[in-house]
Amino acid sequence: MIESLFQIERDANRDSVIHRIDARVKIAIAFAAIIALVAVPYSTMIYTVGAIFFAFFCILWCFTGLSPLVFVKRALAIIPLWGVIIFFQIFLKNKYYTTYDVVLSLPFGINIYAQSIEFAFILLVKFAVCISFIILLSSTTKMQDMLEGGARMGLPAEFALALGMMIRYLFVFGYMFRKMNETLKTKCFDAFDRHLSYRYRLRQLGYMIGTMFIRSYEQGERVYTSMLCRGYGRESFLFVERKSLKGPEWAFLSFSLLFIIVVPVAVWFGQYRFF
Amino acid sequence: MHLIETRNLCYIYPGEVKALHNINFIAPRNARIAVIGSNGAGKSTLFKHFNGIFKPTSGSVLVRGEPITKQNTKEIRKFVGIVFQNPDDQIFAPTVEQDVAFGPVNLGLDPETIHHRVHEALRVVGIEHLANRVPHHLSGGEKKRVAIAGVIAMEPEVLVLDEPNAGLDPRGVADLNTFINSLSKKYGMTVIFSTHDVGLVPEIADYIYVMDKGRIVASGTVDEIFIQPDMLKSVRLDVPVIPKLLKSLQENGVDVSMAYTYADAEAALLRSFGK
Repeated sequence: MIESLFQIERDANRDSVIHRIDARVKIAIAFAAIIALVAVPYSTMIYTVGAIFFAFFCILWCFTGLSPLVFVKRALAIIPLWGVIIFFQIFLKNKYYTTYDVVLSLPFGINIYAQSIEFAFILLVKFAVCISFIILLSSTTKMQDMLEGGARMGLPAEFALALGMMIRYLFVFGYMFRKMNETLKTKCFDAFDRHLSYRYRLRQLGYMIGTMFIRSYEQGERVYTSMLCRGYGRESFLFVERKSLKGPEWAFLSFSLLFIIVVPVAVWFGQYRFF
Repeated sequence: MHLIETRNLCYIYPGEVKALHNINFIAPRNARIAVIGSNGAGKSTLFKHFNGIFKPTSGSVLVRGEPITKQNTKEIRKFVGIVFQNPDDQIFAPTVEQDVAFGPVNLGLDPETIHHRVHEALRVVGIEHLANRVPHHLSGGEKKRVAIAGVIAMEPEVLVLDEPNAGLDPRGVADLNTFINSLSKKYGMTVIFSTHDVGLVPEIADYIYVMDKGRIVASGTVDEIFIQPDMLKSVRLDVPVIPKLLKSLQENGVDVSMAYTYADAEAALLRSFGK
């Protein structure tokens, strides 16, 4: 888990055309795509819109210089979160259909409906494409750039300062966790070693988590003291210098936003269907 | 009028742990003061009284002749900058530039002045090229410089450094010594630092306070302190290697004058050998 954090950071620190684009542009495009997909009505037209959006995402991903495997691994990592929600839709009726055809009847009165399967697929497309844009954003934008971009776009100063500290100490504790792991390894402790008793392994992991908690608490106190030493108060905020978007960034943003708006509208009015 | 003065300062931690007993400390203008003592002697606790982080249990702390009150706390913290031992306690923003800007932002300065101060502070500590880096990618020495820059950007007149050389490599220690000396010589600042590395003290201090178990057991110039080996040993410290060697040579009949810094010792030995 911690190593994934460092891997995301390594990917975001690479250099490519997409990496070099201002964070605000990427945030705006990702959020526009998500809003557009969410706004598309629950109908099969989402398949066409989703396919076009995914093609757009794929083109952008090609310019990142990152392997498609990076995307696949991250998308799969999120499956347990959203896959379960989508899977259970096939057993449930929802407000978007009036009639339901039973495809399969299971014991205890549980049925699988054709309309529910279709709804689950619609959800799947929406989720998958939205998450693709989020992965694109997080894989090509450094966390601090994302924060600066957010602050420049009007993120409240209190949030920006708190998020900035969270980003900073996420890595401090990441390194701390890594060092503790190394210490356990040098003492030949393996949490999956079946030669050691289950209770012993659990206790040691408990100690480790407890130590992390205490150290984070102590760290918090020391950081707060050092903040006070530098005049921290109610009006404190994270300093973000003004920065204008360049011409090509404006052009890319305008084209992308136009594309994201036009595609669903055209599919809706034109009744174009690929599927 | 002294820049900092404590009168019969006593401090007791919660749980009746007596940390400081009747401390009488004076920091004049443009001085380089070392506070030496073993671990747990009370050095860091004393420093936290200099800018009002800790409030005395009894006695008083005067900054420019005035006691620290709620009303002048901000002004005092601008006047007395403290650099803590562990830079990870002090660097909490996601980038170096934002972290150094934290103090000037809290002083209510305008963006142009903040920008100027940040880059000037980074230039003074020699890390202007690190402005956009994230703190967790920096070495220990670089982090230490960022922490110092963060305080210097507030333009304090007194800089307090808690164990400034802890965790630095020999080159890092040498660079920091040169830097501390330049603060006093070039910018007229008063520098107060704590250490238990006595070998370092003659190079960067004019005046020494020796602390043990929350008390000041001796104070004086470098010569006055280091001619008391028994006192130093009683507080778990020692005389630096150079005066110790010269003393031994003197006792063995070599006609060499006493010196405390490397340059003075070299000159004394060359004179002694007629070179």
